[in-house]
Amino acid sequence: MSDCFNDILWARIDGPARVWLERVWPRADEAPVATKFRAAFAGAARRLRDYSLKPEDIKLLTDAGVIGAGDWQLDNVARTALLLRALAALPGDERAAFVRQIYLRGDFREQAAVLRSLSFLPQPEQFLELAIDACRTNVLDVFEAIACENAYPAAHFPEANFNQMVLKAIFLAVLVGRIADLADRATPELKRMVVAFASERRAAGRAVPDDVDMIVNLDAA
Amino acid sequence: MKMFDHHIHMTSRTTDDYQAMADAGIVALIEPAFWLGQPRTHVGAFEDYFLSLVGWERFRAKQFGIHHFCTIGLNPKEANNPDVADGVMDLLPIYLEKESCVGVGEIGFDDQTAEETRHFEAQMQLAVDYELPVLIHTPHRDKKVGTERTIDLVKASGIEPGRVLIDHNTEETLALTLDSGCWAGHSIYPHTKMDEARMASLVQQFGTERITINSAADWGVSDPLKVPKTVAAMREAGIAESDIETVVWHNPVAFFGQSDRLDLGEHGGRPRIDQSELWEGNSVLRGQEAVVEPAE
Repeated sequence: MSDCFNDILWARIDGPARVWLERVWPRADEAPVATKFRAAFAGAARRLRDYSLKPEDIKLLTDAGVIGAGDWQLDNVARTALLLRALAALPGDERAAFVRQIYLRGDFREQAAVLRSLSFLPQPEQFLELAIDACRTNVLDVFEAIACENAYPAAHFPEANFNQMVLKAIFLAVLVGRIADLADRATPELKRMVVAFASERRAAGRAVPDDVDMIVNLDAA
Repeated sequence: MKMFDHHIHMTSRTTDDYQAMADAGIVALIEPAFWLGQPRTHVGAFEDYFLSLVGWERFRAKQFGIHHFCTIGLNPKEANNPDVADGVMDLLPIYLEKESCVGVGEIGFDDQTAEETRHFEAQMQLAVDYELPVLIHTPHRDKKVGTERTIDLVKASGIEPGRVLIDHNTEETLALTLDSGCWAGHSIYPHTKMDEARMASLVQQFGTERITINSAADWGVSDPLKVPKTVAAMREAGIAESDIETVVWHNPVAFFGQSDRLDLGEHGGRPRIDQSELWEGNSVLRGQEAVVEPAE
């Protein structure tokens, strides 16, 4: 499944971008060098910006489980492929720390790429702490990368963290309809929190977002 | 008139400054990596600073409709600090790859020491390797000699002079800088480096080719509106609108555009404001009505 990122990337690029990627592509037989990997991960957006995905690429990504693949660019694909390649050469117990460092030291687009990759990395549950921490971001693009069109939270978050994420989405006016598999996680506790939020808003004379009713009316599967 | 402040340290400025800059017509700025007023004690402090330049500070600027770019480098003062200098140099190749990094800088001389020279030369080589333009700080003390040494070092580096901007020029250095083929920046400061009226005189005397101005505003007594204020002074002095626009927009765009990373959007105007990107306790908006401009 995960090979599609690699396949799409190498099928698309040519010219100077290909020369660059061949130079920075992590080796299969030794652990990635952190500084070299970070430079490659950072450079991907700029060096691949002239490429766009073809309809067949978007279909491959969708078949692999990517939600909203039509919004992906080749640099997102490249960054997922780079992470997969690097992790394959790392001992299992070093992978979570490696991905965390790439996330923490990335710009917003890099951070978003890491978050959108999490479900496709080996043993995705090992990145739970990072994914929960990402919800604390102050940057909308980064928050949306974990909360929206991303299967990871519904698949892995404990209830308390999932509920906090949904509440934060409502605060930020991020449409909760973009949260993958929300209906599966619409627990009585989430509904209570949402109703309490609406009450607080009404008491303050402020508008209550439509999403509140939407969540209250969800039936858990 | 669209304006570009190509040297300003926004990390030290408030949201009031951002608002005032946007209102005055500034649509893009560059924040060069510099020192923070007191020495950093470990390399990690630089890393977090660089991250804020490619991250959080861009986010703040965008909320006021201002494009934020940066230049990355080891500043001359801290090039003298053996606790951090070599470690920072090791970080540069990572940050010079970042999308919003449009140059190496600000680098150059402060006390004009051997260590400053070593790191200055190494960073000129990085500029060549990464095909980036360079923003060079010139010293406040012994400025003319420092500028001459800077030009010698630029020539020895083999970089094309048109890819180098020597900043903080004065009446005594401008001719030297222009003769070298480099671009000449002027930091308009309250009381010191250069003021609005003197700057207008220099434009009348030297013209507009390869000449730029900036506020260099930071954590000290400085003024983030010095670019628009100098525009007013140039108008007052009778300088043509097209010449003023060359100095405050076309020249910095042309110079930093050599990075091939200066993405000003389709129209070269300011980014769409969406203050709904702000929220909660850490928001830069606290209870005000968010400004949201319609998407085009």
